[in-house]
Amino acid sequence: MERRYWNINLEEMMEAGVHFGHGTKKWNPKMAPYISAKRKGIHITNLIITACFLSEACDLVFDAASRGKKFLIVGTKKKVADLVASAAIRARCHYVNKKWLGGMLTNWSTTETRLQKFRDLRARKLSTLQTYLGGIKYMTGLPDIVIIVDQQEEYMVLRECVILGIPTICLIDTNCDPDLADISIPANDDAIASIRLILTKLVSAICEGHSSYIKKG
Amino acid sequence: MASAVALSSFSSLFLRSSRSSSASSSAPSTSFIPRSLTHPPSPLRLSAPAPSPAATSGGEIETTFYYNDDPSNIVTFDPPERPEGYVPPPAFDELPPETEEEISAGYEELYGPAYSGESVLGNDIYVMDAKLKKTSSHLGRKKREKVADGFEERVVQVRRVTKVVKGGKKMSFRAIVVVGNKQGQVGVGVGKAKEVVDAIVKSSVNARMNIVTVPMTKYSTFPHRSDGDYGAAKVMLRPASPGTGVIAGGAVRVVLEMAGVENALGKQIGSKNALNNARAAVVAVGKMRQFSDVARERGIPMEELWK
Repeated sequence: MERRYWNINLEEMMEAGVHFGHGTKKWNPKMAPYISAKRKGIHITNLIITACFLSEACDLVFDAASRGKKFLIVGTKKKVADLVASAAIRARCHYVNKKWLGGMLTNWSTTETRLQKFRDLRARKLSTLQTYLGGIKYMTGLPDIVIIVDQQEEYMVLRECVILGIPTICLIDTNCDPDLADISIPANDDAIASIRLILTKLVSAICEGHSSYIKKG
Repeated sequence: MASAVALSSFSSLFLRSSRSSSASSSAPSTSFIPRSLTHPPSPLRLSAPAPSPAATSGGEIETTFYYNDDPSNIVTFDPPERPEGYVPPPAFDELPPETEEEISAGYEELYGPAYSGESVLGNDIYVMDAKLKKTSSHLGRKKREKVADGFEERVVQVRRVTKVVKGGKKMSFRAIVVVGNKQGQVGVGVGKAKEVVDAIVKSSVNARMNIVTVPMTKYSTFPHRSDGDYGAAKVMLRPASPGTGVIAGGAVRVVLEMAGVENALGKQIGSKNALNNARAAVVAVGKMRQFSDVARERGIPMEELWK
């Protein structure tokens, strides 16, 4: 996999507050290698590791996009819902920003039935299905890579992907388990600025990959 | 050293604005940082063993650094060179908003109209129907699936099970089915339904999801002895010379026959429960390895394994 330049610099990440973790009492001891310091009852993650993983994730995502793989971005917290939607639309990926219905991936045949219903109801445009399925209406099969914004919130999504064997990229905070996802990026999942920064990098990688895929024909 | 001092006071100033406020505002306020401190840390090469705490700024905020002095584990971030004329692409919410048409056109280019119900580029919006009919509808499945897969099914046990509710007893049927092609792949499945036929269908679907491969030698037998247990059922499997046939009881026999094993000995030690024994047999078979694979993993020639 070719390593490209993704304009990841540590000052930018510090400004966005990517290095903040959760309170000391809520930590997951498996995160010990990624924590560099403790200050005022809050754990501070090691930004070098974050930068390494983020660039690796961007390389992987660029590679996959240039081969025409499908992505899914999942983020259901109220604060980040709009961010996830705009990021995914910009990158032409599927997304889930309202509630994740259990079994969306493992029970794909039922989800397909719902999507068919949604398509037939489109004429009315008032359906509540729009909130749940709006982001995946262009999805024809299971995605190839799933990007998850907060592991604690989207634990079910991670479980489904592990069962199905779909590679995942996940934003990990100090109270999460880094072994579950394939690439876990230790970052702050509370501040909108930090999620925005990481999503920007990933989205730019996906866009570049798509454009190189389209160029290839 | 000076850069480390600057950096630690840089971040300590950050923490003065509490975390919750930085979370609520979308961009953290940068007014706390005096200009002089943003300038020095240009060669920001922090490696994991950070400099000593003696250099940190005063005692107002206590910091404990966790050092990773393990030399094999030192992480450095060295990205590839910045290409000249690199313009960082704008963030996604700073771009001019795209019209719905552009968005749909973009998606359609990549994925086709799928389930969106409208087509901007002139593709057929009912394209997914054709694909869906091919895979299954519930009626078609019962007739076709029996031959399509190459997997044969055999029902091991059908039992009537009961759930006692306020009004009386709720009956249902539980079917245990073993599915296999006779070439080394088997799976055990369970399914429950109100009718026997439906239960068998459910269990065969379940069986196809947990398939395991049996390593077989050219005489249709195992490479070596193996034990497996599941619950209270313990199964011992042993290879046999050609001409022996499958000598095993009940559920284990069915599993071995569906795998295509022709010569083997098997014994159920422990519980005689059919489902658990079938699963234990699958576990036992999953533990087996071919001699060539083991030799390759250990990096030794195969002759060594037989000494």
